[in-house]
Order: sequence, then structure tokens, then C-alpha cells
Amino acid sequence: MTTRVEFFDRIRAEMRTARALFPATPMERPARPAETVEIVRRELSERWPATLERFRVEFERVGGVLHRAQTLADVPALIGGIARERGFERLVGWPPASLGADLERLLSAEGLAVEIMPAGEVSESARGDLRPRIARADLGLTGVDLAIAETGTLVLRSGPGRPRSTSLLPPCHVALFERSALLESLQQFGVFLEAWHGDGEGSGGAMINLITGPSRTADIELTLTRGVHGPKEVHAIFVEAGLRV
Amino acid sequence: MSEVELQTPFRRRAERALGDTFLQQALDIATTKFIDLRREAFDGFPDGERLRDRARQIKEATLQSLDRHLGELVDNVERHGGQVHYATTDAEARQIVLDIARRTGAIMAVKSKSMATEEIHLNEALEQAGVTPVETDLGEYIIQLAHERPSHIIAPAIHKTRGQVAELFARELRRPGLSSDPEVLTKVAREELREKFLRADLGITGANFAVADTGTVVLVTNEGNGRMATSLPRVHVAVMGVEKVIPSMSDLTVFLALLARSATGQKLSVYTTLVQGPRRPGELDGPDEFHLVLLDNGRLRQLAGPLRESLYCLRCGACLNVCPVYRQIGGHAYGYTYPGPIGILATAMLNGSRSVKDLAHASSLCGACADACPVRIDIPRMLIELRKDVAETRIASRPERVVFGASGRLLERPRLYRWAAPIARLLQRPFVRHGVIRGGPLVFGPWTASRDLPAVARRTFQEQWPELEREAGPS
Repeated sequence: MTTRVEFFDRIRAEMRTARALFPATPMERPARPAETVEIVRRELSERWPATLERFRVEFERVGGVLHRAQTLADVPALIGGIARERGFERLVGWPPASLGADLERLLSAEGLAVEIMPAGEVSESARGDLRPRIARADLGLTGVDLAIAETGTLVLRSGPGRPRSTSLLPPCHVALFERSALLESLQQFGVFLEAWHGDGEGSGGAMINLITGPSRTADIELTLTRGVHGPKEVHAIFVEAGLRV
Repeated sequence: MSEVELQTPFRRRAERALGDTFLQQALDIATTKFIDLRREAFDGFPDGERLRDRARQIKEATLQSLDRHLGELVDNVERHGGQVHYATTDAEARQIVLDIARRTGAIMAVKSKSMATEEIHLNEALEQAGVTPVETDLGEYIIQLAHERPSHIIAPAIHKTRGQVAELFARELRRPGLSSDPEVLTKVAREELREKFLRADLGITGANFAVADTGTVVLVTNEGNGRMATSLPRVHVAVMGVEKVIPSMSDLTVFLALLARSATGQKLSVYTTLVQGPRRPGELDGPDEFHLVLLDNGRLRQLAGPLRESLYCLRCGACLNVCPVYRQIGGHAYGYTYPGPIGILATAMLNGSRSVKDLAHASSLCGACADACPVRIDIPRMLIELRKDVAETRIASRPERVVFGASGRLLERPRLYRWAAPIARLLQRPFVRHGVIRGGPLVFGPWTASRDLPAVARRTFQEQWPELEREAGPS
């Protein structure tokens, strides 16, 4: 088997005789991404209504459904509505710390039970038991880290209490977000990626998911069909007064 | 493609495709739709042209320091707890994956669509080793059940009708009387594959990009199979060509803005999945092991070779859709893993010039591919280089070389050309049908069997020129 040393010797040997096709540089990177993030956030906080409107247009274009709630207290009725309309009974969700809201308590008033995902490390066997339950669930409730208006995209970082499967296995994904999550562009998102990396991404999980609408395919006669492997429906609930209140 | 299939000459494969009316129709509908979607996406994207220039630069800049970027990638993947493997050849890459499968006791592998694993013919090797590979992209799944090959890199099953898919599912999945509604068929595939995702030991993917600075492997899918394969099985193996590395996250957003627009006209594909090693402590899901296989397989030789620029390729498929040759013959006729204009270059890179002695001519050099390419790869330039190579190394047949050599000399000499026109008009007479030459001696027979070679005009442009110039008067 080729070793690292052999492989890289080979690369360098080829590079010695290679000629550049033209002078080229990669993208310039923010020198202090964490500071740039703060500047972007401050600027965005002024114009969030326009950003939210742009997000709505793009999110709907890709097949998402945006709901607006005045306060967190309005959220259970929205989720209850989605669940009842479709006859959903089994709900799974992120724990309060990562969701920004204790929905278990709020949803019980709606007569809905949510199985809350563990907030930290669990045993191998508990992990094994949880998976089929998530796979059988009708609806998965999560928070988001960012919402990108330009593309109608939800950004979810995995981590303790933020399992990836909650937004993947159930046929319906419902995500809560507030104005601080709103970004205008992919380019701004690039700065956040640089900053997350810079502040030692060890604090987070091993995956960042960009979700732009429900799962889709056009593999049979180019007919658009939703819900191949991921959710058939994606709802985003914007909480105007903010989460964690 | 099987050896038997490749023994069929390209000319025959192309003829077969040209005679398939359904394929012709399907190709026309699909490629036209993709062209329209792409055009709309870029029309509404004023930044597009600037970003294409930028993306092209990033690719070239990365190749100029490839050792440094790949080195960083390796260090960072290892820092995340991943393992990196080095494959100089396709056989070595297969062996690496088989060893991982054997060591972890895997009996089933779920695969997310990946050209790199197609290129190394991984599925056959896994089967022989007793590991069942399951393709999970819906199009790839259909193709796998039918024991066929993909006809398009973005839409692998465009050559099949919904009726054929329904029949196939009914037979292979034992679901008799299945409706041919794509909605129903997709639901069936979801159920079948969901069960496999939850059972599989191994998730195998490619990589659309790998970010050196952060050690991140990036996967782009619309169905979500990329997420499933990287979150559910206990082992994840990503196989990537060395050219997929990019320096930083700032570069990544440039490519993300271009890739889906070029492929399907979307602003972003539904799922962009950034993988940074195995599951971390406290995470509920994700693999226990993460492996990255770096694949050379002829790529590194091209750093200093004539096909260097083709290493920029993002595998978006835009050049296939606009290519007048691909639109007629489809992916199968090319005979190798990578079809279309860029596929000819990839085939030459992987299998040598000899493998493209016919394919190098499967292009009208119209330049539509270079116009559509998100990183502006000059595909026609390299096709000409390949043709030259095929001629100079005498891979091309002798009559072909003689005729092309003579034509070349003729075109270089205007006076000779003037003399040749009336002679050609005389000689071509027995072979002209409706303004097109069919048949003839030397290479003319086979060459014109599936191509339209226009006859020399009654009056050539050169012969008309003095008159035209007089009419136009002094400028």
C-alpha cells in the first residue's frame, strides 16, 4: 500500500515539472473572522425584516413552509396544527438547551407528547434503542444555527443534544428560529464558517448540515418528487419575540 | 463498462444509440430542460460570471500548491480522528475499501452517488468480497436493479420510462401490480432503502469538495442519501480524487454558489453536508470511524501533463447537456465511466490516449462545453491536443492519419486549395446524397457512416470571394 510519504513524494515530483496555466490565488479570507461575524450581525440586526422576507420567498420557492409566531407561546398551536392536520402522533425533538425552548411542556398543553433527545453522551445500547424510535417518528423538531435568505437554507450544526437524525429521518421537519439566525448571503455564511472553525470547532459536533427545502428527486422521467430519503415537508417557524424567553 | 461492451467499436455504440428513438427523445427532453434551468439560474445571478472566474482561479491556485493543501487536509482529518489512506491506482483504492470492510465485519454497504467509486469499479469488488453494495441515489438504485450503467452523471436513469421502472420494481422488489406514478415509485424506493440505511455497516460516499484548512469533506445531494450514508452506518468511507481539495471555507462558498446552478439550476442543492471526522463525544449519531481515501489513478501525472486543466472539473454535468454529440448519443455510447466532453478527457487521463482514439473525435469542437463550464475549462483545446497525440503516436489508423494529414496540408495552402476544389467536386460525385457525402474509399466510408460530411459546394466561399468583395465596394 502507498504510504503518505510515497504519495506526497510523488505529488512533489510531478509538481516540479508542472507549469502554472496562469497566475492565480484562492479567495482572500477574513483576517479576524470572529470580529467580522460581529460586524455582520450588527448590520443585519437593523434590516432583519427585509432579510426575513427574502428568506420567505426563497424558502417557499424550494418547497418550504414559513410560519410566523409572535412569541414562543404561539408555537405549540402551530406545531399542533401541523401534527393534527396530518394525523401525526409521534414527535421527537431537541432538548430545551439546544432548541432554545422547552417545547415538551408547552406541547403537552396541546395534547402532544414529544420524545426529547438526550442532551449529552448516552450508552451504546441507548443509542441503538433511540434510532428506530427516531426513524418511526412522524415529525422532528429542531432549532437552527443560521437561516440564509439568498438560498432559503437552514443551517444546523450537529453536537451534543443536537442529533442529526431529528431533521433527517422523520417525514416532516419543523425548525424554530429567531432573527439572530438570519443571514443575507452565502458569502456571509462563509465568514461564519471561518469563525466557527477559528473558535475551535471542537465544541461542536462533526457535521454541519445545510438544508434547502424538502428532500427531492427528479430521477424518474424528470418528474419532481419530494421526500426520497429525507423529509417530504420542511417547516420553519420564525419567533418574532425571540426564543429563550 | 464491461470488456465485452468496449470491444464494440465506438462507431457501433454510437450507431446503436442513434437508432434508439426512445433514448433520442429522452435525451432531448432531459438535456433541453437542464439547459433551460441552468440558463435561468445564471440569468438571475449577476455575480455568476465573476464567481466563475474566481472559481477557476481557486482551482488553478490549489493545483499550484497541491502538496501543501493536501497535506493540510490530511493533518486536519487526522486531528478530527479520521484515518487517511493513499491510493495510487484503482486496484489499490478497491483494496483499501475492502480491507476496511473486512476489518469491521461489514456485510452491507450503502452508497451515495459517487463518480470516484464508479471509476474504480468498487461495486464489483465489494460483491466478490461478500459485501452487498446498495446504491441509494434513486437513479443509481434503478440502474443497479436493472444491471445497467448510468447514462447521465446527474440523472443516471434518464433513459428509462416510468413504466419500465414500475416493471423493474415489481419484479426485483416483488411488488406486483405497482403503479407507474413516480410518486408511488419513489415511496417504494424510500421504504426499501430506509431499511437498508438502518441496517448497513458501511456508508460509502465520494466528495464534492474537501476543505484543507478545516479537514472537512463536503457532500452535495438532493435526496438526502448523502446525509443518511454519513450519519447512520458505523463506518463512513469517502473516496475522493486528489483534485477535489480546496483551500478554505471562503473558497467553498464560491463553489457552492456555482455547482447546483450549473447542474440543475438550483441555487443550492437540498443538502450540503459538511463532514468533519467521526461522531464526537456526546453526539447521538454519526459513524464511529471515518476514512478518507485519496485517489490518484492517473490524476497526478496530469499536473504537468496536457490535461491539467481538466483537473478543475466539478462534475456538474453542464457540458454534457450542451454537447451536440452527447445530446445525440447519450452516456452509454461513450463506453467509460465519465461521458460527455469532459468525460473524454477524464477517460484519457485514467486509461491513456489509446482509449480515446475514437472518442477524441466525438466532438464538433463547437465550444458549447467551455461556455457552459462553471470553471471555464477549455475542453476543445484539450480535445485537439488529444487528437494530435493520437495522430503523432500513431494510435490512429494509418488511412485516417494520411487523409487528415493531407487535409491539413491542403488547408494551409490557399493556392493548392483552389486547385483542389474542382477536383474534389469531380471525385465526390458518386458519393453525394442530398448535399452530404456518404461512403467512399479509405476512412471516408466508416467516417461518414454516422456523420454528415458536407459535400464541396458548387462554388466554394473562396471562389465566391472576389465577386463578394466587388459588390461590397471599397471599405
